[in-house]
Amino acid sequence: MRLVRRLALIAGIGLTVFSLASEPALAQRRGGTLVQITQPEPPSLGSYISTANPVGQVASKIYDGLLEYDFDLKPIPSLAESWTVSDDGKTVTFRLRSGVKFHDGQPMTSADVQFTFMEVLKKVHPRGINTFAEVTAIDTPDAQTVVFRLNRPAPYMMAALSGYESPILPKHVFSQGDIRTHQNANRPIGTGPFKFVEWRRGEFVRLDRNADYWKPGLPYLDRIVVRFIGDTGTRAAALERGEAHIAGFGAVPYNDVKKLEALPNIQIVTRGYEMLSPVVELMFNTRRAPFDNVKVRQAISYAIDRKFVIDNIWFGFGKPTNGPISSNFAPTGLYSADVTNYNVPDGIERANRLLDEAGFPRRADGFRFEITHDITPYGEEWRRFGEYTQQALARIGIKANLRYEDVATWLKRIYTDYDYEVSSNHLFNLADPVLGVHRAFHSRFIRPGTVFVNGVRWSDPRADELMDRATIETDPKKRAELYAEVQRIVVAAAPLAWTHEISFATVLDRRFRDVIVSPLGLFSSFDRAWRE
Amino acid sequence: MSTSFWTRFLGNPRVLLGSIWLVLVVIGALAAPLIAPLDPFAISGRPFVRPLDGFVFGTDSLGRSVWSGLVHGARTTLLIAVIATLAAVAFGGLLGALSGFYAGRVDNLLMRLTEFFQTIPSFIFAILLVAVLSPSTTSVVVAIATVSWPPIARIVRAEVMSLRSREFIQAAITLGERDGVILFRQILPNALSPLIVTGSLLVATAILTESALSFLGLGAPNFMSWGFMIGAGRSFLRDSWWLVAIPGIAILLTVLSINLVGEGLNDALNPRLRTL
Repeated sequence: MRLVRRLALIAGIGLTVFSLASEPALAQRRGGTLVQITQPEPPSLGSYISTANPVGQVASKIYDGLLEYDFDLKPIPSLAESWTVSDDGKTVTFRLRSGVKFHDGQPMTSADVQFTFMEVLKKVHPRGINTFAEVTAIDTPDAQTVVFRLNRPAPYMMAALSGYESPILPKHVFSQGDIRTHQNANRPIGTGPFKFVEWRRGEFVRLDRNADYWKPGLPYLDRIVVRFIGDTGTRAAALERGEAHIAGFGAVPYNDVKKLEALPNIQIVTRGYEMLSPVVELMFNTRRAPFDNVKVRQAISYAIDRKFVIDNIWFGFGKPTNGPISSNFAPTGLYSADVTNYNVPDGIERANRLLDEAGFPRRADGFRFEITHDITPYGEEWRRFGEYTQQALARIGIKANLRYEDVATWLKRIYTDYDYEVSSNHLFNLADPVLGVHRAFHSRFIRPGTVFVNGVRWSDPRADELMDRATIETDPKKRAELYAEVQRIVVAAAPLAWTHEISFATVLDRRFRDVIVSPLGLFSSFDRAWRE
Repeated sequence: MSTSFWTRFLGNPRVLLGSIWLVLVVIGALAAPLIAPLDPFAISGRPFVRPLDGFVFGTDSLGRSVWSGLVHGARTTLLIAVIATLAAVAFGGLLGALSGFYAGRVDNLLMRLTEFFQTIPSFIFAILLVAVLSPSTTSVVVAIATVSWPPIARIVRAEVMSLRSREFIQAAITLGERDGVILFRQILPNALSPLIVTGSLLVATAILTESALSFLGLGAPNFMSWGFMIGAGRSFLRDSWWLVAIPGIAILLTVLSINLVGEGLNDALNPRLRTL
């Protein structure tokens, strides 16, 4: 066994020497261990069934997808060497790379791809159920060809084929037994650059270099260790001392990020979240008075001082906004700034005027009415955001009482019982508005019991129709026009008040290079990462 | 007796210091809106203003006045601690009295119940209660009272048991006095001094429990409190020490003062010391 490993190592070095020789301009070096901090510890490593953030941060190193993406969100080849979409948009053919092997040595073929999409992602992946709803069948004319047959065109599907979103699983392993409770969820076998070795609960996951990786010479790193450190201060200290090398997604609080940035051994990377694009929103229960009144919702949208929120609560890691679609979609044309601008200097006066017009004059005590604001139970900055919102509402004569509950109770209150007035949240835009934006206000997504969907229960036939058309529109220009109008309508109606885009920050040790090379950031495979 | 009580009580310089601080805190809490007119949650200045730079104690991460928070927080903290202690003393005292007075089966039953509560780690139990009831002033009071009554019940039971066998109680029983009258007129007044001492120390524990709950984000969300201030400020400890230090010192001094005063009460009320 040891001999095999040693041989593999020698082979790996041979390949590296070969690749260095062929590309002399690059200085990448083989070897080294990257310590990644992921917070909290993932509940499992089954990224085909759980979209929880920490799961993706680990599993994305083990599984490949059919495609990868560049920073403009354009697909680039991965397990699929090439692909063609038919003119009617209803047939998508992928040509698979040959000679790709799973970590257990079995070859990856079209049967694995067919199994992954038809038997796993379409059935149990929380987002895949929607993303691949139009896929009726997958044909496998030969071992390297996969043909997706769609009921209606689904252009957004092409943005959801990364190893993070749609990991390709080995059929010979995962077809045995129940996929929902599969024993290999926590002993993953993929085709990715790193192999799963060990998971010591409460401590770390160890991933070792896959010497048989299909990209010649890659990966450069010998090992990735994903550590789980419960205490915020200890996480920051580990990065500061160079014991850990990378952490993202708010694992280090924003005020500490600022401090770490000043250190010579650390850099802060804000790229690598372009395919996630979280947008912070205030949610209004639009079917409960007074929030059924559009003027009340607009007034609150005007009352939030975006600059104050970004500067003092998110410590500068944000970008003010008015609408649901992140400006990260600007390169694809789907983002539109041509919407009602609530971020104005005289917002408070406008808000007061709107509330007067809506028929809520100030009473003797200075307040117009009293509501309960449910704080998002995600941690400190959300709590401060709740406290800020209370103050902002007080300035326009709305007395807000704060309520703070645990995550499960809060989710049930907002997305099942709809027993709330105002709350806040942030939804990921993901790779396409169909995947991440429609859910917030399309009436099809008023689904009691499903979390992170249309909890405001707003419904507008015109907006629904535009979104339905954009879903199947294959012409990028027409699609952009449809979304421009969706944004105009929904921002004016303000069922949610979008305040800012969160710019997550990744804290990265300067000794490591080429780590964040994809819009998926920490959800990408790190195959090109190397240590100086 | 009254004069000798006060001389004994305030004659001790440590007790005097503790009492002075407590009186200041109580005055501050009562006069909060007068001496700190700014709403403790209101964003009233730039964030992270250092102490003495326009604000006596500076401002926190959202620009809220720390002085306002301290004074209004004293209100919340004291109110919750005192009410929770009164509730615990009333409930625990009643249970202990019944248990000690009736002995036998009643005693057995009530004491097993008390032990049941005593076996649960009290702070974890308080967290659980607040989480289940959802954080509010009422649930924090209920949680603190629920975890603090068992020792009171124990003390009162022991006290009642020893008094019950004394001649004057035996006489009252022989005279045919009703149980309630004996318990409340004869026994309880004589059992009061240990109850007062334990109760006063319980206020200190209640302040700590309330602060710890608020620190964990389980305090009443619409009320400023010292624990909340520490919890909200702890991530900024390295740059803005005053956010944590000022309310921390307030808790330290107050709890220390209550302990000193409790000790003083113990000395002053102790019948053995009284005769000296």
